[in-house]
Parts: sequence; structure tokens; C-alpha cells
Amino acid sequence: MSWQVFVLIPVALIAFVTGQLCLKRGMESSAAKGVRDKKVLAFLGCGIFSMTINFLITLGLLAHLDLSFVYPFQGLSVIIISLAAAVVLREKLNLRLTLGALGISVGIVLVSLS
Amino acid sequence: MTNNRSKGFANPWLVLGFEVICVLVYELLQKRGASATAHLSQAWSWIGITALASPLTWLAMGLMIVSLLSWLYVLRYIPLSIAFPLSRVVDIVVPLSCWMILGEDISTRRWCGIALVIVGLILMAKPAAQLEEKL
Repeated sequence: MSWQVFVLIPVALIAFVTGQLCLKRGMESSAAKGVRDKKVLAFLGCGIFSMTINFLITLGLLAHLDLSFVYPFQGLSVIIISLAAAVVLREKLNLRLTLGALGISVGIVLVSLS
Repeated sequence: MTNNRSKGFANPWLVLGFEVICVLVYELLQKRGASATAHLSQAWSWIGITALASPLTWLAMGLMIVSLLSWLYVLRYIPLSIAFPLSRVVDIVVPLSCWMILGEDISTRRWCGIALVIVGLILMAKPAAQLEEKL
């Protein structure tokens, strides 16, 4: 396995998590301010930009690796996004939700290790 | 989040399911498009540029836009910490589809991982159901 895999997979993951947080913050703000508000557009733009980077890097990885290997790595973002939503977006995260997110993440890691 | 309950096709849970299906299809199209064009340039293929030569990739991008719009709608109603983990049902649907459609192998460990994801989804079902009552 080449060095590109070890560099590009984390970069894709960071871009994905950042994108999701920006999109959520943007859509939350849009409920009160409407989608044409500058702050809303900035968050949505940043989210879409991050997701585009993730898309291009994912395409690059898919050109060389099996989809069933590449794709589950994004599943690691489940626990990261759940924790980030609690910290950054101040969403309530109870034990059951945390365990559920952790189970999904561990399951996806097992899938990706196969 | 909002207190306005959306019904019918506007139900955010239904839209979430639609979004998952879109992701499943565009992932498969991405794989087909990227693999078919990888030989064009070894260097550029790693950052996805050569994949743009395939019409399947463009079809995937169209579906990606549809799934993004669906996802934005979902995010307006459902907390990210619930919506996102639930949307990852696609992580087990994709390997299963690769197995059934692309002929890729699934090992015993991968089957165990798939089972664990299902357990995680079941654990999250109750908080999701409680949220549904509030919507």
C-alpha cells in the first residue's frame, strides 16, 4: 500500500467532518435568518467546498483501491462528528447515542480492516 | 431544529432514507467511473482528475447534488449527532452492494463489522424515535 493512502484518507476525513459541521451550522442559522443571509451562505459555501475536496480525494482513492476498502474509512467520522456536534454545535449527546455511534464506528473499522 | 412536523414526502426521516439511497448509487458509479479511467494518468488519477473523463463520474456528481440537497433538508430538522450516524447505514449497504453487484469479497471479519454497525443503529433507534415524537 502506497504513502498516498496514509496521507489522503485522513485529509479526506478531515474535509468531510469540517464540511458536515459547516453545513449543519448553516442550515441551523437558515431557519431563523433565511438562506440568503451572508453568514448562512458563508457556512454553506465552506461546507460545500470541504465536501468537494473530500469528493475529489475519494475519487482518487477509488481509482486505485476497492470501494469496500475506501468507503468505510469515512465511517470513522461517525464518532468524530457525534462528539464534534456535542462540542461545537452544543447538541445533547447521551450515553445511548454515544454507544450507538461508537458501535457503528468500530463496526466500520472492522469492515475496513478486512 | 423546528417544531413544525413535516408530513408525507417532506418527512425528514423519509428524506434521510432517500439520501442514503442516492449515496449508495453514486458511490457505485464513482467506483466504476474512477476504475475505468485510472489508466489515463497514474499521477493525476490519485486526486480524481482522470475520473472526470468518465460519464459515470458526472452522473455520480448529479446524484451527489441531489443527495446534498436532501441532506441539507434533513439537517434543518434533525440534530447532526442523530442524523449522521443513522445515515451511515450506507456503510453496510455499500459493502453488501459491492459483494452483490461488483463481485468483491466480504470476509468473516467484515461480516462481524457489518453486524456491529447494525447493533449501533439499533441502539440509536430509541433516541431517534424520541426525537420523532418531538418533531
